[in-house]
Amino acid sequence: MSTDVSIGIDLGSRKAKFALMRGGELVRLHDLDTIAFYKKYGSIVDEELSLDLKGSGIFSAEELAAARITVTGYGRNSINLHGARVISEIKAHVAGALAQTGLTDFTLLDMGGQDTKVAQVAGGRLTDFVMNDKCAASSGRYLENMATVLEVTLEELSSYADDPVQLDTTCGIFGESELIGQILRGYPLARLCAGVNLTLVKRVMPMLKRYPAETLVITGGVALNGAMVRLLSASCGMRVVIPKHPQHNGAIGCASLR
Amino acid sequence: MRKVGFTSTIPLEVVVAAGAIPVDLNNIFITNQNSPGLIEDAELEGFPRNVCAWIKGIYGAVVSSGITEMIAVTEGDCSYTKALMEVLSLKGVHVHSFAYPADRDSLSLRGEIERLMSHFRVDWQQVNAAKSRLDRIRAKVHEIDRLTWQEDLVTGEENHYFQVCTSDMNGDPDAFEAEVDLFLAQASERPKRQEKIRLAFLGVPPIVSGLYPFLEKMGARVVFNETQRQFSMPYRIKDLVEQYRAYTYPYDIFHRIGDISRELKVRRVDAVIHYVQSFCFRQIEDMVLRKSIHLPFLTLEGDKPTEIDARTKIRVEGFLELMEE
Repeated sequence: MSTDVSIGIDLGSRKAKFALMRGGELVRLHDLDTIAFYKKYGSIVDEELSLDLKGSGIFSAEELAAARITVTGYGRNSINLHGARVISEIKAHVAGALAQTGLTDFTLLDMGGQDTKVAQVAGGRLTDFVMNDKCAASSGRYLENMATVLEVTLEELSSYADDPVQLDTTCGIFGESELIGQILRGYPLARLCAGVNLTLVKRVMPMLKRYPAETLVITGGVALNGAMVRLLSASCGMRVVIPKHPQHNGAIGCASLR
Repeated sequence: MRKVGFTSTIPLEVVVAAGAIPVDLNNIFITNQNSPGLIEDAELEGFPRNVCAWIKGIYGAVVSSGITEMIAVTEGDCSYTKALMEVLSLKGVHVHSFAYPADRDSLSLRGEIERLMSHFRVDWQQVNAAKSRLDRIRAKVHEIDRLTWQEDLVTGEENHYFQVCTSDMNGDPDAFEAEVDLFLAQASERPKRQEKIRLAFLGVPPIVSGLYPFLEKMGARVVFNETQRQFSMPYRIKDLVEQYRAYTYPYDIFHRIGDISRELKVRRVDAVIHYVQSFCFRQIEDMVLRKSIHLPFLTLEGDKPTEIDARTKIRVEGFLELMEE
């Protein structure tokens, strides 16, 4: 068991995430901006993008030779390694949440750069799921855009949950001008940030309502937004659990699957 | 020859009895080499972005094909059709309306059909003769459907294609019948298909392409195309009015669910894909279908006529993985 080495890779829309496990224990995590990773280590082979994992230096030659490699995410079919197993994102995220929390019955909310997935897990198995479609206004990218408009870091945006200003625009881009309108009305920054966080909660709630459970596990980069998590906890009435490495959950899930 | 377009399935027998060429406008839009361009044409004219792409595609198809006469289904389909009819009449297209009565009342439906008949100057004898001719072709298409679910010899896409064509018999019933005959002869010689998962495809025909082959690559095959099958008038009813009363598509969701539940059982369906069109009122009905059907259920949304996108593929993969576990 102790020699069992596995690598998990999650090629997301914003970040490429990597996990190395040895004997079932997490040894190393790594991440790179997706576009930078593709630009630097991608090449076109037979008219398709091929990613050079060896060249990236994230893992040693020895690790790559010994490890069982599992890949998920949008670029999952472009890793040029023989024997790499490709799995769906939903499977990877559920496996990650199971491995990280040790829970067996919960609702999983994964909020990434463009995707929001909600999955129902019962008895340690995925039983149903929904994903956002046609519109990414319920994703992390919305938070990034709004933080840019407000000229705050994501960390600062993530610290405000009190007395949110109402923001109602359906479109995530028009949301920017709505926000500017509220700035002109003189609302303080803290309330505007809280408004942005609450908007995201409102967009996710209809998906969460489908799978009521005692526990809600939140993963993906957005789980790092403490204010959003607080607002969400208040709205959904579920006990919220955030695993230790929410952003690397998909990669850990890949590495943990036997 | 006189060409008559229509926006959704209408009593085809009337148009055929009148000796006109029936043209399902949905079919000429979606089979157009430049179908996305037809939508853009409509948007340039002022159609909003957040309106169903079928409506814009039909508009573009009518304008670019030079069709001057059409039947618009104003009750039993969406209200966008009413506005489409108004805009096209301004363009000089002669539009006749047809309304399926919401309560499926047979007297009202008979009245509507007879109004259509008087417009085309045909009588019941001519219409019934046309029905006999069309029913012969429909029976052969029903056989293709049977070979799909009972004999496992036909792909989901072939099943979709032959049934969807019955709305206008490709504008040429004789040529279409020959195509069906040829297919039947070939299909019965094939080896049985091996996909493990049997799917139902509920909702309107998909605007996106590539879905059926993708499903089959993943080991799942559609053995029930709900609406396409409805176009083929599957109940083999002799009386024309009764035939269009039994037809489910234009009526309430509960009438549709009766048909769906029967077929899911008979065809031993394992899981359901409900396809919805972006900005369509039928997206709301997804809630009712989910409550009524107790099988694994995936809702897919299509917007423009393109190959299925990466996101749809991810969702399908996840769904089928769930089935295998």
